[in-house]
Amino acid sequence: MNAHCDTVEEFQCNNGFSDLIIDTKKSAVHRKHETSRKEDEDESRLPALEAAYTNILRHLGEDTHREGLLRTPLRAAKAIQFLTKGYHETIEDILNNAIFDEDHDEMVIVKDIDMFSLCEHHLVPFFGKVHIGYIPNKKVVGLSKLVIFFFFFFLVQERLTKQIAVGIHEALQPKGVAVVIEAAHMCMVMRGVQKMNSRTVTSAMLGVYLEDPKTREEFLTLSQRA
Amino acid sequence: MDHSKHSRNTSTDKKDSGDTGGSVLNGHFDGMVTRAPGGTGRSSAAPAAEPGSRVAAAGVMESWRDERTRSVEDNEMSLPSLAAAYTTILRGLGEDPQRQGLLKTPWRAATAMQFFTKGYQEKIIDVLNDAIFDEDHDEMVIVKDIDMFSMCEHHLVPIFGRVHIGYLPNKRVLGLSKLARIVEIYSRRLQVQERLTKQIAVAITEALQPTGVGVVIEATHMCMVMRGVQKMNSKTVTSTMLGVFREDPKTRDEFLTLIRS
Repeated sequence: MNAHCDTVEEFQCNNGFSDLIIDTKKSAVHRKHETSRKEDEDESRLPALEAAYTNILRHLGEDTHREGLLRTPLRAAKAIQFLTKGYHETIEDILNNAIFDEDHDEMVIVKDIDMFSLCEHHLVPFFGKVHIGYIPNKKVVGLSKLVIFFFFFFLVQERLTKQIAVGIHEALQPKGVAVVIEAAHMCMVMRGVQKMNSRTVTSAMLGVYLEDPKTREEFLTLSQRA
Repeated sequence: MDHSKHSRNTSTDKKDSGDTGGSVLNGHFDGMVTRAPGGTGRSSAAPAAEPGSRVAAAGVMESWRDERTRSVEDNEMSLPSLAAAYTTILRGLGEDPQRQGLLKTPWRAATAMQFFTKGYQEKIIDVLNDAIFDEDHDEMVIVKDIDMFSMCEHHLVPIFGRVHIGYLPNKRVLGLSKLARIVEIYSRRLQVQERLTKQIAVAITEALQPTGVGVVIEATHMCMVMRGVQKMNSKTVTSTMLGVFREDPKTRDEFLTLIRS
């Protein structure tokens, strides 16, 4: 893993990436190794999660024995395990067979990828669309497969944007990557300020998208078009 | 429009409203837990204790008036336990609750959840008491596109959508924002969309005794979108028509057309 990091760092220094990105890359790598989770662990942790949810229901003033709520702790525990399943997957598993050699060096854009995740501050969903563009450097990847991996964690939108960009970058070493995410945060819509129509837009540009305004403009135009 | 001349007798059904409203209303109260310490000493309205029985009309009226099961003090007292439960959940999912982004998350999540279920703290009677006016108006009144946010009681995941309400007053009208407040009280709970629709319709009926009430809810269920079948664009539509909205197709049509436009 360390050798891989060095090569990537070199690549980045030579290609106009800033230091900030390297730090984020490290945190992305760090995330893969920290408290990871296996599938069989999920099963064994279910009772504790169920008990926690039963507690929550009681303390909200509900009657956990009424028909509609009888199996809710189990369902809620499974639901939240599903929504955070990224913790027990690794990016190597996802990518193993999905990188191909192609002699293509024009921009590739995948847009309107629906995204759903939980915000790490309130554990409340936020959802929106992800638009990704990259200029391959002899390697292309099954992009949606890679991107979806990043959704299933407790997230902060800014960090997600960066993780996707860096993830693609690490997998493919392309000439440039651009990621734009536009999302609605239920923590803002359903509570707090309660602003129904506000959207948060974040973006990450790496490589040639950072350096060349024309490339960036082309990506932004193409991804915004309906 | 000849709907106003229609049979008055259906509008006076406070409880049944022409369908098997009794058992559904009981379902409506199934989740209400009476809390002895903060209770108002209402012995008759202990619906959780009589799940199968048909509550008399008077009992339903009282229940409608005295529904609060939680107080602000209860909220404060429950907060530490809720936060502890959320910490357990974070740990059980493989996260590190000590990292910077998650440090105060259990508290934030607990407060957020209490906000999402704040309907349990409010009573219809408090909201409506002052805003019922005598007006000699017998044409349809519609308030539409009321944004609604609720929590699915099966997965504890948000539901959001829009509520459209129409009613035909019978000498009494309701302050318009009170319709939105009724929606808030019932939607900010652990809900099932069908039940929510019925509760709103019944509350308006009981408050005003109008000639008819129609409620339509169109919502997106995150439990279907984010997990399970993962159908992004599907919407669930439920409706409740009471009184003349149920009896007279023309009235119903008019209501449905007006909420579409």
